[in-house]
Amino acid sequence: MTSCDRMLKDDESEVLANDEVAANFYLIRLFLPQTAAVAMPGQFVMLEAGSGTVPLLRVPLSVCAADVSSGTIDVLYENMGPKTAILSGVKPGAILRCMGPVGNAFLMPTNLPVLVGGGIGVPPLLFFGNVLSEAGVQARLLVGARTETKLLPRALLDSASADHVVATDDGSAGHHGFVTELLQEMLEQDHQVTVYACGPHSMMAAVAMMCRDHEVPCYVSLEEYMACGFGVCVGCVVPLSRIQTVHSTSSYHDYSRICVDGPVYDAREIDWDGGHTIGSHG
Amino acid sequence: MVELSTQIAGIHFRNPVLLASGTCGYGQELEPFIDLTAIGGIVTKTITPQPRPGNVPPRIVETASGMLNSIGLQNPGLKGFVEDMWPYLCGLDTQIIVNIAAPTIVEHGEMAAVLNDVTGVAALEVNISSPNMRDGGMLFGCRPKASAEVISAVKAATGLPVIAKLTPNVTDIAEIARAVEGAGADAVSLINTLVGMAIDVDVRRPKLANITGGLSGPAIKPVALAMVWKVSQAVSVPLVGIGGITTAVDAIEFMLAGASGVQVGTATFSLPNTAADITDGIRKYCDTHRITDINSIVGTLVT
Repeated sequence: MTSCDRMLKDDESEVLANDEVAANFYLIRLFLPQTAAVAMPGQFVMLEAGSGTVPLLRVPLSVCAADVSSGTIDVLYENMGPKTAILSGVKPGAILRCMGPVGNAFLMPTNLPVLVGGGIGVPPLLFFGNVLSEAGVQARLLVGARTETKLLPRALLDSASADHVVATDDGSAGHHGFVTELLQEMLEQDHQVTVYACGPHSMMAAVAMMCRDHEVPCYVSLEEYMACGFGVCVGCVVPLSRIQTVHSTSSYHDYSRICVDGPVYDAREIDWDGGHTIGSHG
Repeated sequence: MVELSTQIAGIHFRNPVLLASGTCGYGQELEPFIDLTAIGGIVTKTITPQPRPGNVPPRIVETASGMLNSIGLQNPGLKGFVEDMWPYLCGLDTQIIVNIAAPTIVEHGEMAAVLNDVTGVAALEVNISSPNMRDGGMLFGCRPKASAEVISAVKAATGLPVIAKLTPNVTDIAEIARAVEGAGADAVSLINTLVGMAIDVDVRRPKLANITGGLSGPAIKPVALAMVWKVSQAVSVPLVGIGGITTAVDAIEFMLAGASGVQVGTATFSLPNTAADITDGIRKYCDTHRITDINSIVGTLVT
């Protein structure tokens, strides 16, 4: 996907719903037919959070579902910063500018897909799990969170994967420990998998190393502070490793722009030690 | 019918609203969002003699009505620009100004000589004002003599119009403006970003990996406006106003203060079509105020 993708639009969208589906987690439904018709799992939108100059910039949020027949997209976000706090107060009927769909998408797997999500990195994997399911492929979903209250509702997880497994850092739900420990167990039993990860940088780095060691394909969806979402500010970059890949032919060389070259990368393309990357949007 | 076309430094623009360097890439990314024939021109992201990887992320942080950036002039270098970016840019139906920066005075001249032979370049804007360049940029632009030497070297190497882009991070911006005018600059654009900083108090670390960055956006508009006014009183070359311009009213303010044209920067990030909207707004302002030629308002501030 290139930066001048003609699918990409910046439109006004009507908010159809904006509900708190779990403590501090909101599902906003936007009427955006052109984006809904083409959005794929892994892609995101740049959504306006309030008008005026505070906040100044839009918030990048992953698409969690897209429905062509109703012309809607769903975005699941956590109220965790000034922008998402404003967004959480938006009422149905409001009009928000929305650019999308931004970025590339997860590639379809050739064997068993294992989706590894941490925290608010889970929503794009729910979209992917549902698309895979419609294609007759059952994904395994591994979900990590700090604690039980940071987990998404079971109904949402069920829709993406009937046999999802949960891990919490404090043991308040599911496996007591990191989600990467669940992945480690799986990889020791089965090498015929493709791993897709989205979550905090440290989690994705650990997943990438694990998959490298087990010689399993791994795709990660990255995020960084972002100003524009269409490639001109060159702010949301990730350092690339020295191996030759499709992304290393980018005219921007060592640092790849996540918004137009990503957000999905083959984990081998990333220089995981090459720069600090944040793990969440505000 | 309002006349919006203008001449700045001998360049004809269909209207006085340009896209600022570093906020419109090399044009292509904006194609889905903006009719480039609706604006006066594009100033490319800065190019340097050699490719630059740019700074370690995080490179961006939002602040009150503004943002800090420390991109670090990530760019494909002069050769990469001419070979990979120019073929697209030169096909656009708008004026293309190429923004350049270099670590030495000599290399500024060398870049200008190469670009002089590239067909279709409207002008050069010389970035002697980047706060994110450890070996150039603001290091030249905060000293009158060094600023003049850079502009002289560029002027000696090209017949293209030369615009000096000034930094606000100086004691007296008028002194720098006089120096570059004396060195032959055909126009002056101002302001580049203000050096700024933000701290994450939970971890006691700067929010930018580079520690400091350049502040842009509506927060800096009053500072920029005052500097345009000050420089307009000090030099006779045309000025291009930059700094937090988000609306047509902002643009008109800069023109009243003495700017012949304006550049829209950070506002494009929030709303890619801002520059075209501003052009429409300027037209409406002229209609409302019975202005037949936009050039007639430049520098007409009543004091």
